[in-house]
Amino acid sequence: MQPHLKRAFTLLALVIIAFIFVRALVVPASFGQYGWYRGDSVEDTRNRPVEYAGSISCGEENCHKIIYSVWAKDRHKTVNCETCHGPSEKHVGNVRIMPPPANDSRDFCGLCHFKRAARPANFPQIDPETHNKLKCTYCHSPHKPWFI
Amino acid sequence: MMENLIWGYIYPNEAEIQWSILIVLYPYITGLVAGAFIASSLYHVFGKKEVKPVARFALLTALSFLLVAMMPLLAHLGHPERGIEIMFTPHLTSAMSGFGYIYSFYLIVVVLEIWLSFREDIVKLALNSKGWKELLYSALALFSYDISEKALHDDEKLAKKLAIIGIPSAAFLHGYVGFIFGGIKANPWWSTPLMPLIFLMSAIVSGIALLILLYIASMKLRKHAIDHKCLQSLAHYLWIFLILDVVLELLEIISMKYESLEEIEIINRLLSEKIAFTFYGVQLTMGIFIPFILLLLAGIMKNRQTLKMIMISVSSILVVIGVFAMRWNVVIGGQEISKSLSGTLTYVPVFFSREGVLPAIIILVIPFIILRVVTYILPPWKDMEEESE
Amino acid sequence: MDISRREFTKFGCRVIIGAAAGTAIIESIVTNSSASENSPAGEYDWNEHYWGYVVDTRKCIGCGRCANACKLENDVPFDEPVYRTWVERYRTLKDGEVKIDSPNGSIDGFIDDIPAEDIKKAFYVPKICNHCDNPPCVQVCPVGATYETRDGVVLVDYDYCIGCRYCIQGCPYGARYFNSEKKTADKCTWCYHRITKGLLPACVQACPVGARKFGDLKDPDSIINKILDEERINVLKPDLGTKPKVYYIGLDREVR
Repeated sequence: MQPHLKRAFTLLALVIIAFIFVRALVVPASFGQYGWYRGDSVEDTRNRPVEYAGSISCGEENCHKIIYSVWAKDRHKTVNCETCHGPSEKHVGNVRIMPPPANDSRDFCGLCHFKRAARPANFPQIDPETHNKLKCTYCHSPHKPWFI
Repeated sequence: MMENLIWGYIYPNEAEIQWSILIVLYPYITGLVAGAFIASSLYHVFGKKEVKPVARFALLTALSFLLVAMMPLLAHLGHPERGIEIMFTPHLTSAMSGFGYIYSFYLIVVVLEIWLSFREDIVKLALNSKGWKELLYSALALFSYDISEKALHDDEKLAKKLAIIGIPSAAFLHGYVGFIFGGIKANPWWSTPLMPLIFLMSAIVSGIALLILLYIASMKLRKHAIDHKCLQSLAHYLWIFLILDVVLELLEIISMKYESLEEIEIINRLLSEKIAFTFYGVQLTMGIFIPFILLLLAGIMKNRQTLKMIMISVSSILVVIGVFAMRWNVVIGGQEISKSLSGTLTYVPVFFSREGVLPAIIILVIPFIILRVVTYILPPWKDMEEESE
Repeated sequence: MDISRREFTKFGCRVIIGAAAGTAIIESIVTNSSASENSPAGEYDWNEHYWGYVVDTRKCIGCGRCANACKLENDVPFDEPVYRTWVERYRTLKDGEVKIDSPNGSIDGFIDDIPAEDIKKAFYVPKICNHCDNPPCVQVCPVGATYETRDGVVLVDYDYCIGCRYCIQGCPYGARYFNSEKKTADKCTWCYHRITKGLLPACVQACPVGARKFGDLKDPDSIINKILDEERINVLKPDLGTKPKVYYIGLDREVR
């Protein structure tokens, strides 16, 4: 082989070797641990903070036991506490951190209960035009909706 | 304002067009690269003597555009600094993962090919110049100055082998760009096995057209006579590849319309309302049919070189614009239909932004500057001038 | 054979260097791809679970509390049009026209802007990432920044994603979006940080009518398996072969 070609190919080989070397240094250690991805990222995703604690944590430890037992027996028991009260995991961990007050506006109740064509017909709905125009909570307790 | 841009129902996450004008530019530029390289191998591999005047120039053109091919991609990435991961951990089931390796391999082939075909000149320049120039050319010659007949003969043999490898890799470089779109089953406008072939044919077409324009422009700038035989020959190849290109593009549309699958309503809407002008007007009529007829006339005309030259250059300009429209219609058109198949949206290009029109223009200008510099360092016309002297 | 010692040594050196480089390449590929069988640290064992999701479109009331809870739980940019889950409304008018919409992904609920007497049929359809068994988004990711876990959840590695958005193009369901804060692709994780701690995904927990169900496909007594055994179910765009793990009860032909 001609010397100039030899030099060219040596140069090319050096570049390739340098590339392999750099690659070995840079690729994260956990890459390929479980598949073609960075294994540590599974842990990273798992370690994200939880925001919604779940209704059970409201009823336990005597904190909101009474209102919890009222809620748990009535028709709104399928509606979890935090669906209206907002995410409260931080509050569960530290009672001084208060979640924002629950939205008790007419429109918020209406998200579920205003008459809408696309809603299942057997779902309890009111016509916002003809139904009593007062704030819903004057007549209906959100925890025990048929308590008037 | 937003309401007018959206028709029907699009998935809420589709409100933003993800692949902007920069991604239109990327297949356009790689297409020019592949086309220019294939034009040069007409001489290097297939021994078409009549295109010899542009063979070396075509290689330099390919290199200049190849060097910027990855710039629109980098400018588009959310994390450009992580872009190298595509080389370090290429996920081989992804059509895009091939980019790093195919691009690098092709860059090596083009650089070697250029080096071999310019080595005699480089060595002569190294021996005949002083100062920084001597250093530059000596470095380019790798400090090895053997230009004996045997050495040059070996170079030529290797260059031919490289060009033979180069053709499939040029085809691959661009065919796989077509597959990036053609392999997306989620998008009915993209998902077709014809896509790599369509991309390849339009790439060759745009590359040859660009080469014709650059050749005429540089001859005019250098006040040098145009080799009409060479020009005629390039125009001839342009015409042939135009036919292949239009056949494939029409086949795609016709089979889509004929089969009339679930998505036909939204495809029809795309063609008649969203990209009607850029598809039927620019891509097909202006970009293919008019140049096709002009080139046909130029081919059968006798004498009248100047008129022919004007016709060929007009066709080339139209082809280069038409192929850009084709890339636009694929990349942007495909994103203007919702994957819910029941709505469309509109891409509104922004001028000043990282993914706007301004960076696109800048990126499109850079290869011409590179080409100017490269042809200054490695004059591709030298051998011709000696002949004419 | 007329080989001098010098030439032989040179040849030998070349072979050794070549072989070393070759093994280095092969090794770097093989060691990375050989999947070990253990689970990430912690008491949760991902080999014991395989998650599934059921949407009962007949129950959905379109209140949008799921989409709202999702954004709050997962730190999704609240004021941008990006959603990990959303609710669509389908209304077939008396003249046959089908109107589909999902204003702000249903977070603010729906307002009846078409009089009820013009509507023939109407219903809501909650949408979420299908966590496909054959996920096209994972297939197209060029760097391995998105993947399916052993327990069947498709996740994004935010520290590795290059932001090319190919996965967003590849998803047939519009479930992925570009996170403008992280500058990466983003999507539903089925609240992986919750389900691996024994909690329900935020959207399932927030649903007041039980239209969304979540459970373990590997547990024969799970609510998911009960529904799959009893109900007639379908998935979205089954013809694309993505094998979704979000199963729908009462899916209308208009829903895509």
